[in-house]
This record gives sequence, structure tokens and C-alpha cells, in this order.
Amino acid sequence: MGIFSPVLAATTAVNNSQMGLIEMMAPPEDISVHGNLIDWLFAYTTGMNILFFILVCIGLFGFSWVYRASKHPKAYYTYGNKKPHIMIATAVGLSVFIGVDMNITRIANNDYVNVFTKWPKAEDNPVRVEVLAQQWAWHFRYAGSDGVFNTEDDIVQLNDLRLPIDRKVILQVLSKDVIHSLYFPNARRKVDAIPGRLTRIWWEPTKAGNWDIACAEMCGTYHYRMKAHLTTYSQEDFGDWLAEASDKALQVNDIENPELFWGWQWQW
Amino acid sequence: MAFFEQHIHEEPKTFLSKYIFSYDHKVIGKQFLWYGIFFLGVGGIMALMIRWTLAFPGEAFPLIGGLLFPTTNGVIPPDTYAMLFTMHGTIMIFYAITPILIGAFGNYLIPLQIGARDMVFPLLNMLSFWIAFVSAAILFISLFIPLGAAAGGWTSYPTLSTLIGSPGAGQTLWALALFLLGISSTMGAVNYITTIIVLRAPGMGYFDMPLSVWGLGLTAILNAIFLPVLGAGLLLLIFDRVFGTTFFLAGAAATSGTGDPILFQHVFWIFGHPEVYILILPAWGIVSDLLSFFSRKPAFGAKATALSMTSITILSTLVYGHHMYTTQMSPLLTQTFMTLTMTISIPSAIFFTNWLGTLWKGSIKFPTPMVFSLGVVFVFGLGGLTGLYLATVTTDLYLHDTYFVVGHFHYTMAASVLLGGYAAIYFWMPKMFGKMLNETLGHIHFWLTFLGLNGVFMGMMIVGYGGMHRRIYNPFVYEFLEKLIPINTFVTWSAIVMGLAQIFFVYNFVYTIFFKKEKAEANPWGVGTLEWTIPSPAPVYNFKEIPVVKCGPHEFGNPALTGDRDFQYQTEEIPAT
Repeated sequence: MGIFSPVLAATTAVNNSQMGLIEMMAPPEDISVHGNLIDWLFAYTTGMNILFFILVCIGLFGFSWVYRASKHPKAYYTYGNKKPHIMIATAVGLSVFIGVDMNITRIANNDYVNVFTKWPKAEDNPVRVEVLAQQWAWHFRYAGSDGVFNTEDDIVQLNDLRLPIDRKVILQVLSKDVIHSLYFPNARRKVDAIPGRLTRIWWEPTKAGNWDIACAEMCGTYHYRMKAHLTTYSQEDFGDWLAEASDKALQVNDIENPELFWGWQWQW
Repeated sequence: MAFFEQHIHEEPKTFLSKYIFSYDHKVIGKQFLWYGIFFLGVGGIMALMIRWTLAFPGEAFPLIGGLLFPTTNGVIPPDTYAMLFTMHGTIMIFYAITPILIGAFGNYLIPLQIGARDMVFPLLNMLSFWIAFVSAAILFISLFIPLGAAAGGWTSYPTLSTLIGSPGAGQTLWALALFLLGISSTMGAVNYITTIIVLRAPGMGYFDMPLSVWGLGLTAILNAIFLPVLGAGLLLLIFDRVFGTTFFLAGAAATSGTGDPILFQHVFWIFGHPEVYILILPAWGIVSDLLSFFSRKPAFGAKATALSMTSITILSTLVYGHHMYTTQMSPLLTQTFMTLTMTISIPSAIFFTNWLGTLWKGSIKFPTPMVFSLGVVFVFGLGGLTGLYLATVTTDLYLHDTYFVVGHFHYTMAASVLLGGYAAIYFWMPKMFGKMLNETLGHIHFWLTFLGLNGVFMGMMIVGYGGMHRRIYNPFVYEFLEKLIPINTFVTWSAIVMGLAQIFFVYNFVYTIFFKKEKAEANPWGVGTLEWTIPSPAPVYNFKEIPVVKCGPHEFGNPALTGDRDFQYQTEEIPAT
């Protein structure tokens, strides 16, 4: 039996999942305002790729079939250096470059400049969170009621991030040992957490619920377990949680403990 | 064109000088071939262990699991898993693909195809192999030391690869092994470049060289320029680990914070991106030649193909930043690297058109080397196109460090290079060992490998788009990855099919070399490049008389040709039409 038991397990897994293949292949549910930009560009690139790959396959399989030696015993003698040949090769090269590549580059560039690196300003009133990564856990820090980081009323969470929907969130990320990567599969985003170098990521949740946060960069043996929980609340629920957490922070934060003050001054 | 007289070497008499410390480029090529095939097997078994863990977490690895991991009853533990994928990457790139395509075929083909009696520096050539051997021994030993081998991924980013993340000696030995291998490959590269420049047969211009030599030569140029860069990075890493410097340490616990871990990523990828092309260029060259040989017509736009490969070689040095988008470089750099990366598709599209143009109106035969070459066109098409998602910064923000990346680079580096390497082995087997491999077994080998590898790498891209990130021991601790269990299982079964398919090759290869009686003809494929003008297997001195080249390497189907041959040797004048 031994060697076959995994086969059986796999078969059961397929039978138990009532999911179609397409559904199985879908990326995790998008819960961000701008995740659709990435999904759209992925779909667009896929469309273009399929088009060009079909052309390659037509050439590859079509020519192989039509010009097989038994059907086409005498090859056409050409170096492929006549004018029409060169023009076709150039046209294919340019059409791929201009039609696909530059299009994708332009769209990606617009999204990148106008959305993903357009950092929320103080007047946007984003939720500000400081993130400290370590082997193998995520620390999250909210400024608390005074709005200043690294003070004794800060709310400090371990592997537990809570965010409101319909409000921008900006996270500043740092690592205290090796490189990690803060990965929100449901927002289609990630950013590396690097020792000695502050990185940032911002996004805006749209749906309340429970989600996973992962570490995407190899960070040691338990890299696969460096998982945090993301809870998204409606604005009211978030307000309630924040008030409760602030009260609790004032009670439990031990100001004698230097370990607590890993935060840094917020850098707009 | 030779700059000096090439003497005919005496045939070595003793076993040691003939098979072990040989100066003969053909013997050194074969040494590299065995070395590469051995490590291909080791790396392949490691890949199967990785796949097994992903599909069946907690199950004992069949057959050899109990022997290798006795403390866990054959189940692969997480720290060993990290070691396995680190070693799989390192071994496959530096100890399997590099020796097979560059070490073996670079050595074997360059002198034969340009009409030389040996490399310019035979002693350097021998040293290159034996340094590679020492390097492999160091890497192998590192598997058996306390705390085990390197386990920080084949990229070994600091600070994980410094003492902060990897206390054992394994990581130091890894860096040392790669540093030595860099020296070995640089020696080889210098030799190849000089040989191509100095020893081309009289009459042979650069465009009269087969495209295989173009591919190997361009690879050698990249190797000579960029392996020293890797060497520098590794040396700094060794300094950080052994002598307590802080080149790559910053902000981390208990360090003064003067260095920068991102510096290593820059150094690594300045080398690392050209490395991708170092691996693929020989395969491109070989495939361009084989497509023409078996379509029985001249390579379509051969000059344009050669120039496209050259421009890709140049562009490959300018795009490395697309590996580092998530480290949040300045947006200006991000945009620049994205645009530069995209320009690579112009030369790629041109030589793809040329490959298909070669097939167009040919008279195509399908022996094993040809089906492998057609396989390369297919998988490289997929691999190249899926690169677009990763060159694009916004889609890369999602796909970076997921299995999509793994699937993509396996299509380009593993699938294409593996199929290209097999095409080369099946094709040059008669010239190397004087015997032909079995065609039926070859076709079975091709189809099983081809189906298997598409299952594996396509499956990887699908789970990657599903959000599964790389280098995780058990993906199913995440809720959003649970639905991907069946696809992961499918990938693993495909990998097992691909692994088992290699048995056909090993049997075929070993049987042919050691037991097959039937000798191959001097020119079994009907091809006119210089290595086919001499007997099979090639004699020690290669060419009794240095040939004089009068035409290009792909002269097929010239209507003015009289006689029953449809090709002509490079030593023959093209008949006037």
C-alpha cells in the first residue's frame, strides 16, 4: 500500500473539492480598490501572449506537418535574406514590441506612478501602521490616541493586523534580522522588509472579513509559518476595536520594557 | 586564419594522461559531460523530494526516504527542505547545465566546428575541469557537516546568508564552492573566446561559423565579464561570515549598521541576469543549427539570428533590476529597468521568426535531435512570453516570489536548456563516442519528458497565479492556498513522469557507450559543418590537415548541386547557379 496511499489521498482531495478547474486556478479574492488594475493587466498580457503563442504554434506544428520530408521532399533554397523576408522578421519584432510590450509598459507605468507609488498624504487621513518583521513573526504598531509613534500608548499587535475598509492604509516596513516580504495575496501586493532600510506600501481594503498575510521572501527554516492574520472591519467596527485596544494598551504596556519601543518616528 | 602553427599532438599512452589529466579538448568535454549528467541526476532527485513534500506533506519519501532521513521515518523535515531547494538550484544551474552545455559542448564543439586541432590553452582547459571538480567536492562535502549545507535559497541573500541567519559552515562552503567554480568557468571562457578569435580555419569568417559556436562564444563573453562580479560578491560574503566585516549587514541585531544587504542583491543580479542568458545562448545556437540541418535548408536569416543573439547578450547586461522591484528602488530605476527589459523582445521575436522561417518550405525530418529542438522552440516560446508579466512592475508586485516566477524561469532555463542539451547529446553522440543512440528510446524519452515538464512548469505558473509563494515547506498552512492541493499533486505526478522518463535516456546512453557494437558512420546526419568531415569518433588530432573553409555551415538543397548529396561540406565551393 505505502507508496499508493498518497495517490488515494490526492484522488479524494480532487473529489472532495467541489471546485471546477477554472475556479481552482483563480487568484485569491481581491479585497482592494486597486487590485483590479493588476488583475486587468495580467488578463490583458495573457490575451496578447495567447495570441502570439498561437502564431508560434501555427508555425511550429503547421510547418512541421505541411513540409514533412515525405510530403515535401525538396526544400526551398533560400537564406532568408531577401527583402520581403527581412521585412517580415522586422515587422514581427516591431509589432511585438510596439503592440504588446510598449502597451503593457505604458499601462504599468501609469498605474505605478499614479496609483501604487502615489503615497497618501497626512490630509488623506490614512490608517498608519508600522511593521517590524523578525524570524518568524510580524509586529504591527498603531500610533494610539496621541497619534505619535513609539510612545507608551501605542497599540502593538503580534501577527494580527486589523484594518478598516474604505480608508487608505499606509504601512512602513522594517526588518530586525533578515529580509522578509510583507505579502497581501488578497490585495495583490507585497513589499520587502529589509534590515536598515524603510520600505512602504499602501492600499485600500474594500471588504470586511478574515484574510491571510504571508512572508514571501525566503527567511529561514520556518519561512512557511511566518503567517499573520488580517481582519478587515467596517469603519464603525474598526472604531470600536481601536478604542478598546487603546484602553488596553494603556493598561498593559509596560513602559519599563525597552523591547516595546521598537517603533520609529513616522516619515511622511 | 590561424595565427600560429598547430602541431599534431602525440596520442597519450597511459590511462592517467589519456582519461584523467588529459589536455585533449574532446576528453575534457566528455569529462564535463559525465560530471554534468551525474549532477543532473542528483539535482533531479532533489527536485522530486521537493515536489513530494509539496504534494504529500508529512508522508515519507518513497524508497530512499527512510535511508536519508532516519530520524523522521523518511519524512523530509523543514530545515532539510530549505537545504534541498537551495542545493537543487545551485546544482542544476552551476553543476549540471553549465558543465553540460558550456563545459561539455563548448569544449567539444568549438575546436571541431572551427577547424582547429585543440583549444588555444590546453593546460588551462584541463585546470578548468579539475577546479570545477574540487568545487563540486566542496559542495558535496557541505551536505554532510553539522548544521548541513547552505539553506538560504540559491540566491543566498544576506542577511539570511550571513551569520545572523545561517550559523553553520555550510553557507561558507557554498560560497567557496561557487567562487572556485567561477574561477573554473572564467578560465574556460577565456579559452573559448581566444580559440574562436585565433584558431578559426583559413577562410572562415565569423558569419561562416555555425550558430552553435556563436551561442557558445557569446556565452563565453558573458561568463568572462560577469562571473568575476559574482566572485566579488561571494568574496565579500565570505569576509562577512569569516572575518567579521559588515559589507552586507545593516540595522540587524547587534551590528553597527554600516553595510547594506541590498548591495548584495545588486551585485548578485548584475551577474544573475546575464547568467540566464549564459545558460540559454548555447541552446539557442544549437537549436538554430539543428533546425536548419533537419529542414534540409539554409538557416533562415542566419546573420540576423547571430546579430539578434549578440544584441540580447548586450541587453542582458542592462536589465537586472527587474529582479528587485519589491525592494522598492527609486521609481525612476524601476521604469528604466522595465523599459529596457521589454526591448529584449525585439531580438527575441526576430530569431523566433527566423526559426519558424527555417522550417518554412523545408523538407523536414524528425529524428530525435530535431524533435528535441522543436521542443525547445515550444517551451522557450512559453518561457519568453511569460517573462512579460514579471518585467512589468505592477504584475510583478503580485507575482514576485510566487511559483509563477518558478514556473517561468524553469521554462526558460530548465526546460529549454534541458531539451537543447538533449538535442545536442543525441546529435553529436556519433562524433563523441562513435555510436548512434537508439531512435525509438530517444522518441519515448522526448515525449515523456516533454509532457512531464509542461505539466510541471505550467502547473507551477498556475499555482503561482493562485498566490502560492516560493520556498514554503507546507503551503497548506494558508487558507487561501488550500484549494491548490489538487494542482500541486498534479505537478508532482508530472515531475515523477519526467523523472522516470530519464531512465530511458540513461539506459540508452550507457548501453550505447559501453555495450553497443555497431559503429556510426563519419557523417550519419548528412551535415556539412567541419566536424562531420572527419571520422567518428573524432581522432586525437581532429584534422589531419587544417581545412580551408569556402562556404557557410548551412548549405542545403542548392539546386545547382550535382550528385546525390543535398548538402555540401564547408570545405567545398558553392557551385555557381
